Amino acid sequence: MFKSEPKSIVQFLATHFDLLRQLFDIQLKNEIILKSQVAETLDEFGRDIESHLFEHKILVEQNDDFVINEPYFVLFEFVLQQFKPLLPEEIDKFGQSIRTLFLNIKEGINQDKNILLDRIEALSNEIKKFRTAVTNNTISLLNESRELKANTRKIEYQEKVQTARYLIDYYIIPLNTILDINHSQSIYNELLAISQFSNNKRFDYSDESIRRQFEKLYNLLRQVVKDISLQSIILSNELLPLLDRIRTESEYLLGFHLYLTNMNCYKGIKPPKIFSTSRDNQYNKYIYENTKEYFEQFKNEEDVFVEEEANDIEQWIFNKNEYKSKLNSKLPVTDFFSWCKNAIENEKKDFDIDNYFMVTSLIFEEEYDIEQDKKREKITLKTKQGEFVIPKLKISKKENVSE
Amino acid sequence: MYPNKHKQIVTSLMDGRFITIDESYFDILKINQDFYVEFFDKSFGFELKNTQEFYYLISDETKENTSRDISIFFSILCYELDKDGKNFMDELGFSDFHIDEIVEYIKNSTWIDVVKANKQLNDGESIKRLVGSTMVKRNIAIQHSDDKYSFTKAYKLFIDFARELIKSEMNEANS
Repeated sequence: MFKSEPKSIVQFLATHFDLLRQLFDIQLKNEIILKSQVAETLDEFGRDIESHLFEHKILVEQNDDFVINEPYFVLFEFVLQQFKPLLPEEIDKFGQSIRTLFLNIKEGINQDKNILLDRIEALSNEIKKFRTAVTNNTISLLNESRELKANTRKIEYQEKVQTARYLIDYYIIPLNTILDINHSQSIYNELLAISQFSNNKRFDYSDESIRRQFEKLYNLLRQVVKDISLQSIILSNELLPLLDRIRTESEYLLGFHLYLTNMNCYKGIKPPKIFSTSRDNQYNKYIYENTKEYFEQFKNEEDVFVEEEANDIEQWIFNKNEYKSKLNSKLPVTDFFSWCKNAIENEKKDFDIDNYFMVTSLIFEEEYDIEQDKKREKITLKTKQGEFVIPKLKISKKENVSE
Repeated sequence: MYPNKHKQIVTSLMDGRFITIDESYFDILKINQDFYVEFFDKSFGFELKNTQEFYYLISDETKENTSRDISIFFSILCYELDKDGKNFMDELGFSDFHIDEIVEYIKNSTWIDVVKANKQLNDGESIKRLVGSTMVKRNIAIQHSDDKYSFTKAYKLFIDFARELIKSEMNEANS
């Protein structure tokens, strides 16, 4: 029960509409109004009205926070024409109850009069709810699609395409099915069947009160069918083309995106061919542009990638242990450098000088003793990369070295 | 013997101009399309291309840099118009743009790397020259008074090309 007069409640709504709208927007966005958000809003609009919010049952507690009481919320949705789009399943539930009630009416047409009256009334109520749901939904989808088209939120195109696709797949196409006259399972067709049935029964039923009830139902349906078909027209004439347009544009935008991303436009993708103008006279009106174009064709702005030629030379890996054991088996060797040459030549006739020096690195192993030739004789080593004059060195096993 | 305005049509196309549907030459070309296709092919080895809305010539030797600059220009402009909540197809088709407006769109674009890398787009003066000279010369843009420009239907060559990229990419992915 309200303490306040109905008139003063309505007056309160009008006087403090801005505050209420702010609370409504908060709830629309967050589904709940935090205690702190109520306090902030009251700070802005005046604390003295806090008690009225609860007296008039505008705000109700939900755990520690608040929500706008359902009847008020529906009223604000309606007066502000801001509806959250309903999922097709939410609309379809009206279809289910309409179908069930209609079936029960048909089956129980000759049974108890009172239940038949109640069912006809319940069916009318469900039909009205269905109409409201469809109308509100079309309005909200239209608003969402227009906002998307105008990109009022300045979102990037990927998100835009995603949202458009989401709206189409989950809301608009299913809603279209519900309203589609050509779809045998559509609620619209069910309403037409009910309309036909009630049209018959309003003349052809023994009881007058039931006839009158069918008459009312028939009149309601005449209007509802008209309204629903209008919504269907909005859907197919405005909403679907609008989203289709977003889809077409998105194809272009995807194309631009692909072209510009990673500097693709300067790399592999060739632009459309256009005509290359030939020789010009100096008094040609466009001599500047033509000359510029002429010179630009020699300018390579594209990234140039130089691929190094694959190295055909076979990689040679120095197997130190193998060479070491070969050397050990020949020790002492009087001319180490010549031995190295022969050793590598046995494995790789066309050896590289780098390979040769790798073999000569054995000289630094701790286990060997190196002795220069007493005559300080030098040897000459000829390779394809040049001629080397190197000392003749004797190499032998060092005594008392642990292996 | 030759169609009416033959000289103007040939000169125009050989200047690299697009002949668009709103010009009188377009109708003459359309009526004599077979003649002109053969004429350009036999006389110069050029190919006369056409869409529902414009005619243009292509040669083996092509102006790739210019075409690329224009393609990038339209890609960025459309992208930015869309981000600004505008219907870019309608805008390009039916609106006039002040050159400063165009420059602002390109300069403030999120595709800054692409813009910076392009000599025709990386400063205001170059953009003005690309639109006011290069594109006007080819009848892709039309200059009006007060530094305002509109675009002829030839813009579609450059944006349809981008759309085709996606289609071919999708086909490749499907195959």
